[in-house]
Amino acid sequence: MILAYVDPGLGALVWQTVISAFVGLLFYLKKTRRWIVNFFRKIFGSRPIEPKTPPPVVESVEIKPDAR
Amino acid sequence: MPSSAPSFRDPAGCCHVFNHRVLRFVAAAALAEFEDFLQTASANKFIAERKLVATRRLAENETAELRAVSELKPVFAALDVGAVFEHGRISFASHPHEWSPEMLREAGRLTLDLARAALADGFGLKDATPHNILFRGHEPVFVDLLSFERRHPGDAIWKPYAQFVRTFLLPLLANRRWGLSLAEIFTTRRDGLQPEEIYRWCGPLEKFRPRTLSLVSIPTWLSRKADPDEQKIYQSQLLADPEKAQFILESLFNRLERQLRALAPAVRKNSTWSGYMTTHSYDDPAFAAKEKFVAEALAEFKPARVLDAGANTGHFSALAAQAGAAVVAADLDAACVGQIWRRAREKNLDILPLAVDLARPSPALGWRNREQPSFLERATGAFDGVLMLALIHHLLVTERIALEEILRLAAELTNQLLVIEFVEPNDAMFRRLTRGRDHLHVGLNAAVFERACTAHFEIVRSRALPGTQRRMYCLKRKAGQ
Repeated sequence: MILAYVDPGLGALVWQTVISAFVGLLFYLKKTRRWIVNFFRKIFGSRPIEPKTPPPVVESVEIKPDAR
Repeated sequence: MPSSAPSFRDPAGCCHVFNHRVLRFVAAAALAEFEDFLQTASANKFIAERKLVATRRLAENETAELRAVSELKPVFAALDVGAVFEHGRISFASHPHEWSPEMLREAGRLTLDLARAALADGFGLKDATPHNILFRGHEPVFVDLLSFERRHPGDAIWKPYAQFVRTFLLPLLANRRWGLSLAEIFTTRRDGLQPEEIYRWCGPLEKFRPRTLSLVSIPTWLSRKADPDEQKIYQSQLLADPEKAQFILESLFNRLERQLRALAPAVRKNSTWSGYMTTHSYDDPAFAAKEKFVAEALAEFKPARVLDAGANTGHFSALAAQAGAAVVAADLDAACVGQIWRRAREKNLDILPLAVDLARPSPALGWRNREQPSFLERATGAFDGVLMLALIHHLLVTERIALEEILRLAAELTNQLLVIEFVEPNDAMFRRLTRGRDHLHVGLNAAVFERACTAHFEIVRSRALPGTQRRMYCLKRKAGQ
């Protein structure tokens, strides 16, 4: 249940969205780097780097497609 | 004690203080989520570390008893109460307008720590304001447990971001850049400073300084460009990849923590009173005699709760805390308060330092003046011992408060002990304050002071401080006063 009642601001919210989009790109860079490292680790028989465990999924909430 | 409502904005519930008990009424619709949060690893960890307030659900019969209390009937009528919880009581409630910037920063750090930890359990904060936090001694405690809500794992936007900026970062920025006190900010604004407000204070160069640019200028420019009637911007845009959302939020919390660190209040070496301990008018024997007198009074009366009024650098607050008391150290100089807080934290002393001017104590604030009671409302009768050391001449001379009034206030604050330092009008500091107005205090002497004391107190003992025009008094409040 979302009972947010706090003023989210306007400029600050837009700015946060812009930064989030940029950080989202960094996430893909990090993921790509991990994929490349794991590729070579697999070749040399080392253990692959595990991604961080994401928070538990709330079953009652439907995940919509990526809007960005 | 009548019921008061320190919290009511959240539709998920409200909090009332009733008969010295802190009760949280949780709406039926929010109950399952609230109880789920209390079961999480992060909630248990922070409760064990005393960073989240201890909480227990009242049994059905206890809730039924509360339902029958006439003063609480409006609460049950206004809210579909699913359950009532009781929180551990923080001995002295304080508010952001009474904190030093160091304390606000520490409260901000706790808020971010909690937001980050709850993220791993699938929960998030729905608000991020210093009003969620009280101080137990020098340590912040997060008390508004209804602030936690289950978050969508694909939601990469932290809705309280703007509020965190308004209530933590911008007040710290304004304090650092323009010397604006937290009292000036929070007594007049519940929700902190708006970026647009600070933008107007900035000169052309200031607007482009890195910190100001990201916290003030860019949000201001964006809010001018954005359509204020456009509702789409406020709707959550969910990502399909929860790992990505978590990465974005963690990066946001790290960035906010860096900003919080960068806005650490500058340690002012030359505030009006922070250098008092090295420049005061006592020589060593006089100061040792004063220290011995206070220590003896504390040892004799063993007050559990002490108010050090006009605490200055907190030397005697520390003495009281080391004697086992929970101390509230009040001083009007926020730099002194910051100094006391740092010292209390370093030595882990039970001292809550507050920026309060006893001559103009914090007023009651908020809706119907009931959200944040005034300092005197909270302090009256809340202490077993009050220290008024090197304070009386400031109240008499600078504030022009009558001697009888000062003693009347002291009698209202303490239930038992008052240690007070009387300063003769020919004392050097007294004369520095009078600035030629000596005629106003002709006739004031120890005998007059003692006569005024007897209206409310018994004089247990007194001792002159050698080589000074000062005398220490240990007073016991008369019964029935």
